[in-house]
Amino acid sequence: MKVAVKSRFTFPGGTHPPQSKGLTAESKTQPGPAVKQVAIMLSQHIGAVCRPLVDKKEQVQAGQKIADCDAFVSAPVHSPVNGKVKEIALRSHAVLGRSLAVIIDADPENNPPKQPGCTKFTDDFDANNYSAEQICDAVRQAGIVGMGGAGFPTRVKIEPNPRLPKETLIINGCECEPYITSDYRIMLEWTNQIIAGIKLAVKASGCSKVFFGIEDNKPEAIEVMNAALKTHANGDDIKIVPVKTKYPQGGERQLIKAILKKDVPTGGIPPMIGVLALNVATVAAIAEAVVYGSPLTHRVVTVTGEAIANPGNYYVPIGTSVEELIEFCGGVTEKSAKVVVGGPMMGIAIADLTTPITKTTGAITVLTSKQIGRAKFARRQTPCIRCGRCIEVCPEHLNPTKIAHAVKNNALDLAESYYISACIECGCCSYVCPANIEVTGYIKVGKITLARQKKKIPE
Amino acid sequence: MLRDLRVSCAPHISEPLSTRSVMIDVIIALVPAMAAAGYYFRIYALILIPTCVISAVATEWLCNLIRKKPNPLESLGDFSAVVTGIILALSLPPSLPVWAAVIGSVFSIAIGKMVFGGLGANIFNPAMAGRTFLTACFGILMTSWTVPATIDSNMPQISANLPHARTQATPLAWSKQAIKTETGAKIANEQIQATFTGEVGGCLGETSALALLLGGLYLLIRRTINPHIPLAVLISALVFATIGYVVNPEAYIQPISHLSSGAMLLCAFFIATDPVTAPLTTKGMWIFGIGVGTITMLIRIVGEYPEGVMYAVLLMNAVTPLIDRFCKLVPTGGKPNV
Repeated sequence: MKVAVKSRFTFPGGTHPPQSKGLTAESKTQPGPAVKQVAIMLSQHIGAVCRPLVDKKEQVQAGQKIADCDAFVSAPVHSPVNGKVKEIALRSHAVLGRSLAVIIDADPENNPPKQPGCTKFTDDFDANNYSAEQICDAVRQAGIVGMGGAGFPTRVKIEPNPRLPKETLIINGCECEPYITSDYRIMLEWTNQIIAGIKLAVKASGCSKVFFGIEDNKPEAIEVMNAALKTHANGDDIKIVPVKTKYPQGGERQLIKAILKKDVPTGGIPPMIGVLALNVATVAAIAEAVVYGSPLTHRVVTVTGEAIANPGNYYVPIGTSVEELIEFCGGVTEKSAKVVVGGPMMGIAIADLTTPITKTTGAITVLTSKQIGRAKFARRQTPCIRCGRCIEVCPEHLNPTKIAHAVKNNALDLAESYYISACIECGCCSYVCPANIEVTGYIKVGKITLARQKKKIPE
Repeated sequence: MLRDLRVSCAPHISEPLSTRSVMIDVIIALVPAMAAAGYYFRIYALILIPTCVISAVATEWLCNLIRKKPNPLESLGDFSAVVTGIILALSLPPSLPVWAAVIGSVFSIAIGKMVFGGLGANIFNPAMAGRTFLTACFGILMTSWTVPATIDSNMPQISANLPHARTQATPLAWSKQAIKTETGAKIANEQIQATFTGEVGGCLGETSALALLLGGLYLLIRRTINPHIPLAVLISALVFATIGYVVNPEAYIQPISHLSSGAMLLCAFFIATDPVTAPLTTKGMWIFGIGVGTITMLIRIVGEYPEGVMYAVLLMNAVTPLIDRFCKLVPTGGKPNV
């Protein structure tokens, strides 16, 4: 079944970190742990934070909306379990530091683990049974956000906007981060559901062309998707595009560049060039939400890394703590050095293992000191020798070392003159730096400091 | 259950590269040139290369002591002083006395590198700074070229004879002579083949074009350097030399011999490509390389000296910050309209 695919569709720059996907690529998606307690973050997306709709000690049902917000750019959150609200308290958040969460004690008798995937979708699915408004409304009610990592509310993206009409839908099945295989597994296992989701997204957004980008290191996924599309009515409207395996090929801007050869304007968004980009997990969630009205309460998470006893892909209730998930996977085997929410290139290292899974968590990676590398583990940085490797790999054609050193010397105006805001924080520059300088880290600090100066975010 | 977790910025993995591994690559690439030096200049190479390396490393250690670094040995681990020492040694006349080589190495590291703040902060190529200092101080010593041990000298001599060292003119000295006296570039042209193997007079490591090309190729394959600067230097020099040759083939030597003789290849692959003192962007690298190639040829053909590589490199080093300033990168998505 293995077919070698080689693609030349790509973007300039980028790196080739070791894939390390073999740990979990062959492991079928399994139901996650029967959780005792979940912590549902009130902010799992870009946009306004939700306000809780439930009170302490209130009984909640699985799928019940527990927090919402009237703002346009926002998404409600739902309870994944039947149980009782314990409290509404601060929990550590992988991205935001600390944030409010609804803590729910799950009812131990009444919570069978949810089975992954919907076998209910077939190849005769017809999106014309639903109106565009219906789809947008269902997506909003289900609280769907971009599940690739950014977490932008999907309703806002797919809704037609007369000022920025969308023509092309790009489905992102690249999964360029090392270790992560959650998108790969759902492409293999939920094929029909993904295609149904794509049809719904096309219907809602009014796009006329669909390209489905998959990295050429996943020939099975390309094969399975192509075979499924053949049996679908109008299946050939969706074009599978194998793209070159290179990090960060799965970046929205990089994928658009690879497939359409178009650049999204700096500081702009894809609709400015008529493109809508959605992740495969997101379209799968759209299908489930529109057809079955089920809210986004579970997602596939890859628990991986050489330090995990049983790495695999699990269908986990959102709100499960990282600790519980790691223990469910047999705990750690070797001396682990870092627990990362996400993959090793862009993920966030956490110290507090009670951090819950959110809608945007695609993986938990537990790394050993050996994998981190000696210099990086020792946090040993040497002077920049201006070798220019960071410039060579930068997918956004920036000058990372200049920006990083401007930030280091507190010259933020200089950093801005080198277009610090155009950085997508992919981490390629830090990855290749022979001096082990945390280039991306400096740039992130610079961006946050600038945003604070401009009062965009509080101190 | 999990203790001692580390927290830091993404990415959490990195390529197994370090400044030391980059420098070791350069040292490996210099092995053919050092071997050629050893073959042609025997005992001179055996003395000069270790002298320069040891005094360069010792100077860096002393500077670290003076700067009160918590661990004065730490910065020696990146081997950049070793590279500077080797390149300086390879660019010196073989018969240079040991004390002069020591002075050159000390100047290279102390004034060329450490006063600016150490590796990564220096403006000028340290090895070239040291060599320029020696040229300014000991002009005659720096222009006495020993005959390679493999040939019995029957070539005419133009420079002052030093005791115990038989010397001869370099191909470029012949070329200069030809330009000045318009006596024809015959002798220099006859030496083309010898400049490839290295069987001519010249600096310790510059005579064998073959060894330098081999090292340069290794650096390119290992991607330690990218091809922009070597290409820019060699192409611009070739173009300049060709113009001269077309104008007057009697007075000017064959263009290819300008590339193979003198320090041109050493410069193109090892000196001009020093990342610290060269521009960062591709466009900048081309401007820098063309500048180095053109100034070198200007000095060789129009100027007073037979060889101009070190001045060309230092002059272009001086304008590197300016080049970097003018060659700003524009993001993929164009300039943001703020």
